[in-house]
Amino acid sequence: MPLIQETDYGTPVSKAEKTVTLTIDGVKVTVPEGTSLMRAAVDAGIQVPKLCATDSVAAFGSCRLCLVEIKGRNGTPASCTTPVAEGIEVSTQTERLKQIRRGVMELYISDHPLDCLTCAANGDCELQDMAGAVGLREVRYGYAGENHLDAAKDESNPYFTFDPSKCIVCSRCVRACEEVQGTFALTIDGRGFASHVSAGIDQDFIESECVSCGACVQACPTATLMEKSVIDIGQPEHSVVTTCAYCGVGCSFKAEMRGTEVVRMVPYKDGKANHGHSCVKGRFAWGYATHRDRILNPMVREKISDPWREVSWDEAIGHVASEFKRIQAKYGRTAVGGITSSRCTNEETYLVQKLIRAGFGNNNVDTCARVCHSPTGYGLKETFGTSAGTQDFDSVTEAEVVLIIGANPTDAHPVFASQMKRRLRAGAKLIVLDPRRIDLVRMPHVEASHHLQLKPGTNVALITALAHVIVTEGLADEAFVRERCDWDEFQDWAAFVAEARNSPEAVSAITGVPADAIRAAARLYATGGNAAIYYGLGVTEHSQGTTMVMGMANLAMATGNIGRRGVGVNPLRGQNNVQGACDMGSFPHEFTGYRHISDDVTRATFEALWGVTLDAEPGLRIPNMLDAAVDGSFKAIYIQGEDIAQSDPDTQHVVAGLENMECVVVQDLFLNETANFAHVFLPGSTFLEKDGTFTNAERRIGRVRKVMPSRSGMADWEITVAISNAMGFPMHYAHPSEIMDEIAELTPTFAGVSYDKLDALGSVQWPCNEAAPEGTPIMHIDHFVRGKGHFVITEYVPTDERTGPRFPLLLTTGRILSQYNVGAQTRRTDNVVWHHEDLLEIHPHDAEQRGVRDGDWVRLQSRAGGTSLRAKITERVAPGVVYTTFHHPETQANVVTTEFSDWATNCPEYKVTAVQVSPSNGPTEWQSRYQGISEHNRHIADAAE
Amino acid sequence: MSPDRLIYMANQIGKYFESQHRQNAVDGIADHLRKFWDPSMRRTISAYAKNGGEGLDPVVLQAVRALSGVGPT
Amino acid sequence: MPFEIWEDTRAQAIITAHAGHEGAMLPILHALQAAFGLIPEAAIPLIAETLNLSHAEVHGVVTFYHDFRRELPGRHVLKLCRAEACQAMGGDALGARARGKLGLDWGGTTADGQVTLDAVFCLGLCATAPSAMIDGRLVGRLNEARLDALLEQAQ
Ligand code: SF4
Ligand code: SF4
Ligand code: SF4
Ligand code: FES
Ligand code: FES
Repeated sequence: MPLIQETDYGTPVSKAEKTVTLTIDGVKVTVPEGTSLMRAAVDAGIQVPKLCATDSVAAFGSCRLCLVEIKGRNGTPASCTTPVAEGIEVSTQTERLKQIRRGVMELYISDHPLDCLTCAANGDCELQDMAGAVGLREVRYGYAGENHLDAAKDESNPYFTFDPSKCIVCSRCVRACEEVQGTFALTIDGRGFASHVSAGIDQDFIESECVSCGACVQACPTATLMEKSVIDIGQPEHSVVTTCAYCGVGCSFKAEMRGTEVVRMVPYKDGKANHGHSCVKGRFAWGYATHRDRILNPMVREKISDPWREVSWDEAIGHVASEFKRIQAKYGRTAVGGITSSRCTNEETYLVQKLIRAGFGNNNVDTCARVCHSPTGYGLKETFGTSAGTQDFDSVTEAEVVLIIGANPTDAHPVFASQMKRRLRAGAKLIVLDPRRIDLVRMPHVEASHHLQLKPGTNVALITALAHVIVTEGLADEAFVRERCDWDEFQDWAAFVAEARNSPEAVSAITGVPADAIRAAARLYATGGNAAIYYGLGVTEHSQGTTMVMGMANLAMATGNIGRRGVGVNPLRGQNNVQGACDMGSFPHEFTGYRHISDDVTRATFEALWGVTLDAEPGLRIPNMLDAAVDGSFKAIYIQGEDIAQSDPDTQHVVAGLENMECVVVQDLFLNETANFAHVFLPGSTFLEKDGTFTNAERRIGRVRKVMPSRSGMADWEITVAISNAMGFPMHYAHPSEIMDEIAELTPTFAGVSYDKLDALGSVQWPCNEAAPEGTPIMHIDHFVRGKGHFVITEYVPTDERTGPRFPLLLTTGRILSQYNVGAQTRRTDNVVWHHEDLLEIHPHDAEQRGVRDGDWVRLQSRAGGTSLRAKITERVAPGVVYTTFHHPETQANVVTTEFSDWATNCPEYKVTAVQVSPSNGPTEWQSRYQGISEHNRHIADAAE
Repeated sequence: MSPDRLIYMANQIGKYFESQHRQNAVDGIADHLRKFWDPSMRRTISAYAKNGGEGLDPVVLQAVRALSGVGPT
Repeated sequence: MPFEIWEDTRAQAIITAHAGHEGAMLPILHALQAAFGLIPEAAIPLIAETLNLSHAEVHGVVTFYHDFRRELPGRHVLKLCRAEACQAMGGDALGARARGKLGLDWGGTTADGQVTLDAVFCLGLCATAPSAMIDGRLVGRLNEARLDALLEQAQ
């Protein structure tokens, strides 16, 4: 594809239904009421010169370049701030306008360095374009007067520079930071000639409130705000539209390239999940793809204590196949299994589960969603009938009450958070249920009406208390329930929640949340208009994770907040393709599209197409595989792009399981922690190196497109195909599109999906089939997928993980903006400037009791294990609660977490661990020992050895 | 696989189904185990139940016993 | 005018006292300046936190208005009008003269802490332009001689 030039309409689109017809330069054009003259002109094919307007932000009218004349009116109004009117006749090019424009441009240019030819933005600069457009040939003022040409450059941000000498003070950046990103990190300092753009309190960008989303860089018409990569590499020459591989928002990007080198990633305006916005990860943190730590050759070793030996692909694949066959012959068909990756494409995860079910002949396949959103799948399927969120992201623009539970969108789902913040600034109300004071509780221009700061592990008690208020105060939507849900079940449920022991007053003692706050929040949710629930791992990673998911579904059904825009129950998925990996049949008990393997009709369709007989019994889940490995009955595992030694709970148990296996195959970009215990390492490919699709948290299937050749020579799907062929179960695909065709053939909810359709529509949300050829943004509109909505009794069962004299504090975990999951990618980018180590947040009261000062090393100990990290004293956490992230392997935060898990899905209870915190001198013995093993086990033999 | 962990998990499942008024808990538990536990796990817990099943909650014990009767184990 | 020494808790009390009202920022800034004689950088996070704004926004407002000082003023404050009417009546030349004599740029204070020279934009005295203000007292029909007298008096 050539370089994609997206049209800048100058001002945002008007959503008005009424239209207006007018004439611009003799061209008749009809546009929605409220459209600017500038935008209408673009619709008519006419570009009015402009500098301070761009269609991502509201018009400002400061540069005076876009002036037009309107027949019968005096003056020369700015076309960006003047709305259309019926029947008017507008001229955009008259002698008078030309002169004014030339004069304006001359003033700008007279205070601008004229080094266009050597400027990094040459060819991509609107100032340059406009000088040309208004026909400016000479500048009369010269540089002798006061100017800003020697203002110092700010290079503090690792990804972009700020060169004020080139700034025209159009304030597009300031407005983008406010309107698009919602951070308000920029301002115009001073006024008149002295005015200039200031980050924070005239600080360097890196010290300011800036979160490095890139919106200002995108909005800047000059080279003032500029990607460093463009300065280094030069202007791109072609672009390819693809999907971000970091989080479940699934932003669409243009990968702008020079040959096979990425120059920059630019958020794509047509992207339906992000509408041209991005966060620091997707926008800037792609450097890991070419990081020197990437492993590019397959490697094999006998024992995990041996150094790695680089081998050919043939040898590696042959070795895997013969080992798996040997192990199955010796220990039985079910002694092997595999794990699919939520970071790989749908096609790739599909192939791994196919290899396991059809090639290995068992159902020992699982996915890392086990440790994050498996309760979502179970809970929403039980209550509504579909294992997925109910809305598209844009639905939030019609929400009047937003209820966030156990999620931290500004850090974990930043682009969606920006959209949500925009809605909150426009007046929607916010309720936050979280043990920690997340940013959204209070940040510039956003303030939660209620923050229910509950004790970790008491979600279910709280959600039932909210239901209690709704039922006992008569706030339920009976008409909705009667029509859409099982009425008897509802009554049963209502009687349960109405019991006095579920009242806010009773539950307050369990949750630590004042009863009146619970009542007020419940009333707001039930009566504040469209109410939408967004939730994250703070819901699922509990022993009652599934129950809590069903509790939220109950609440939505009881209040009729389901089945239209602005409402719903929405999981915010962590990794880019968690939704997809689950959809693709990665769980041991179900095929693609969430159909149980014991269903004979479904199984028969797979058997017919794959030409094998399939096992009708569920296989092992990840924790069960590890248990079985410790017991000696599970011997080999094929792990696609996951780092279970770092991301799974109770690290010492995981390690014991891995150490007990005879063949551990890790397919990944880097030698991750799990690879320390591997016998075969197969180098994977990044999302830049392959074709495929990802499915985001709103069920949106988006294309991933190859922009550079695979650096290791094989895309992940090709590796799985090769293994399968070597094992004697042939697979033939020339391109991932053929894999998608097979998925569509086998999966009713994907029946209408094809690469052609994705190319035509950009993306689609499943279900996409004959009934919904263009996909389904909102689910359960007229009826629930399962028929009648199912109310479930949500009895609170306290976790067995309790505080006591030895472990008096509760540890809960989360993530931060600049790092991603176990950090394998982000740690290998400049994002480390924002977060170079995991910190333990602790309340001042608890810190003082223990003699811990800010920045001190502390030992964090649970009954499972101990680790050391630095303390950060903050009131974000309540007394009695401590919090940390798990982005850095040195921290080994999961050494501390326990084996407790969700009753239905075994999703680990990451969000509650009883711990003690005490001052320490540095890393623990386990950390040092582990560090030693890990260095040793990473050794790659020299070619000569 | 060591029965301890399975006993713990089975009792957790039991607690949920016991709280569902409209569904028979024994059926619910048995159905859940059949749908989500791999055969070797079911075999282990069934064998354990046969030998007295100490530590299993009464409904869970009943459900596990019902398991051994039906379905492949 | 003696000013209080900056103190966070005292400043917070002033901010909180004005915070409840719509458009609280300007009254807060005026009150702080009245109490402390300036708006130091330390004020910005306090105001931002109380009004739930970003640091940048508060900084933008503080720097937009020439009235708000980032440093303590001298014992005398001379303000010269630089807006249109006064400009037209020769205000620019007077401004240049004042700056030259004091060796200051706009907003500066002499090394001995005696005089601060400020620019203002219209004192509402356009009819008798060019205009000035010294320590709160308005002066119209400024000329070189009157300016020199004002400067002498201040120094
Ligand atoms: S990068 Fe984003 S947060 Fe930072 S100043 Fe620019 S728009 Fe604001
Ligand atoms: S930095 Fe760019 S966008 Fe911001 S004011 Fe300057 S020229 Fe405009
Ligand atoms: S919000 Fe998520 S998908 Fe979007 S750019 Fe950031 S990490 Fe990528
Ligand atoms: S583009 Fe309209 S005034 Fe700047
Ligand atoms: S312009 Fe100087 S007083 Fe009005």
